[in-house]
Amino acid sequence: MNRHKYKKVLYSKKPSGSMPQLVIADNENVQSKFVVQKILELREEGIPLEEIAVLFRSSYLSFDLEIELTKANIPFVKYGGFKFIETAHIKDLIAYLRVTENPKDVVAWNRILLLIDGIGPRNAEKIIDGILHHQSDRFWVEYHQYSDKVRELFDLLKEVATDLKTPSEKVDRIQAYYNAIFKKVYDDWRRREKDLEMFYAIAERYKDVPSLLTDLALEPPNESVSDVVSPGKENELLTLSTIHSAKGLEWKAVFIIYALDGRFPNSRAVDDPEELEEERRLMYVACTRAKEHLFITYPINIYDRDTGTVLSKPSRFLEGLGENLLDQWVITSEE
Amino acid sequence: MKKYELRKSVFGGNLHLVTPQRFLINYQHDLNQSQYEAVTSVNGPHLVIAGAGTGKTRTIVYRVAYLVELGVKPQDILLLTFTRKAAQEMLRRAAMLLDSRCESVAGGTFHSFANSILRKYAQLIDYESSFTILDQGDAEDTINLIRTRLRLDTREIRFPRKETLYDIHSKSVNTLTPIHDILAKEYPHYLEIEEEIQNLSSKYEVYKQKHNLMDYDDLLVNLIKLFKKREDIRNLISTKYKYIMVDEYQDTNRIQAEIIRLLAMKPDGTYSNENILVVGDDAQSIYAFRGATIRNILEFPETFPKCEIITLEENYRSTQAILDVANEILNRAKE
Repeated sequence: MNRHKYKKVLYSKKPSGSMPQLVIADNENVQSKFVVQKILELREEGIPLEEIAVLFRSSYLSFDLEIELTKANIPFVKYGGFKFIETAHIKDLIAYLRVTENPKDVVAWNRILLLIDGIGPRNAEKIIDGILHHQSDRFWVEYHQYSDKVRELFDLLKEVATDLKTPSEKVDRIQAYYNAIFKKVYDDWRRREKDLEMFYAIAERYKDVPSLLTDLALEPPNESVSDVVSPGKENELLTLSTIHSAKGLEWKAVFIIYALDGRFPNSRAVDDPEELEEERRLMYVACTRAKEHLFITYPINIYDRDTGTVLSKPSRFLEGLGENLLDQWVITSEE
Repeated sequence: MKKYELRKSVFGGNLHLVTPQRFLINYQHDLNQSQYEAVTSVNGPHLVIAGAGTGKTRTIVYRVAYLVELGVKPQDILLLTFTRKAAQEMLRRAAMLLDSRCESVAGGTFHSFANSILRKYAQLIDYESSFTILDQGDAEDTINLIRTRLRLDTREIRFPRKETLYDIHSKSVNTLTPIHDILAKEYPHYLEIEEEIQNLSSKYEVYKQKHNLMDYDDLLVNLIKLFKKREDIRNLISTKYKYIMVDEYQDTNRIQAEIIRLLAMKPDGTYSNENILVVGDDAQSIYAFRGATIRNILEFPETFPKCEIITLEENYRSTQAILDVANEILNRAKE
């Protein structure tokens, strides 16, 4: 059953402003350039960047636009990509904290042991077995049989678990130990460094480690700092977001890009009626994010590897919406 | 001599709240007719269908304040939302509207709610209260570890990647669907190794329990396990939360709906607490890929036959021109 069971017709007393537009672009890059130009125009009209959003079905659909925005020096923030908590270096830090709280946490043990030079999966497993068979929370006592590097880790954990009290002290100590590993493991550590600072700042807000770990596991901070820091320096930021991540939000002006049949709905969804209806609801959610201006764009002549066809039609959800509902536009370039 | 008469506690029974002579907030003035109805309908099950931009958050905020004004203890109100930030924000707004009592309302996500209860009663389901929560990446790594141990990675037949294995396992758990059916629908090419996948899946379950680990699904599943195993605990929790509100009900999964049922009903199917109000919009259900099911909201009136439905249709966000497009997109859904 796919039908929307609860009938409702939304109405508004807000005076009707500009007509929503459906804009065809000759190719992806023309679409990007149009969006950039229109954003600049809207800004001229007095709509700040934070009141504007560009929405898309899948995260990768904005890559070309991101390049054009950077060229035009328009700062933006993107939602729906990688999460702070999912970045490897942050997971490393969390793993150290985790074993001090739950010594049976084999997953975390495995992670931090493998970070040590010269410890492979087999070695790690042996050490973990030793820890588990120790049958005590004081897993770090007397491990003379291990190499210096493993003992160094145990010393660290012992200090963190028993001597240090606040989460920020603990994180600080762990970072001092982790720093050398961090720079060795990640070639791009400079880019990641800001995240470690942010992690410390987050830890400072907590009184105890269990609540810090619970919060991080249950509701991670939105983005990596490297995603949030934008090309420009102004505080004013344009929003780029997948529709899923735009849930519940609103902007004065909204662009929906790649409203191209085969991309939105995705060609993989069209054969399954349930999936297709879900895509329709996504389009509905996207449109209802807009307060005053709605621009729906689609590029044509896009090759689709999945089906081996060229995509050129607007999303089937928009097909047949007459000129009385959607103003249809084409883009021409100035010679 | 003047006398004070002690009233029989209004909370001993269920539905005998005393309406104060005067409310501090002028609900009728601040809300439209259907919002007002949703806010002031406190007894019995209610389903609020809230279209995009119709003041859903405002309605919940006012309802929290209203309940508190009626004399309900804030700690006895449970507000479950999609993100923890959403709950905090709503309670902060309710506190600004009324007073700081509203901040004592129990608010959070299904997962954070489950976590808080399981930390207290973990021993009853053979866990320690210091259990670690595995995020998706951790869960995948754990599955990988077991796969290596079972030597499933070295076989000749191509075995799914850890991400796929986790997806199969998790979908099976949170949609209450046998692994066989998941494979048949989404990964038919792995049907021939179904037995190995089943085996891996059950080993994963054992492993987590043994090492005091819970993935996201476990938080919910174990809460249900606790409720089913210990009727006394279920009854305790269910009696405590006299007023339950759930936001974004269209994006809940089967297990979450089951938790709601267990919080509101006794095992024999009679209500232990019928003051349940869920808010959602079936037209905005977009998380099927994570196991959410639109059926929860569609079937709510069947689960709670006494349920009253209230629909919010006046949109305060968008111009009529934008709503016309959105309405039309929905209209075209196949009947």
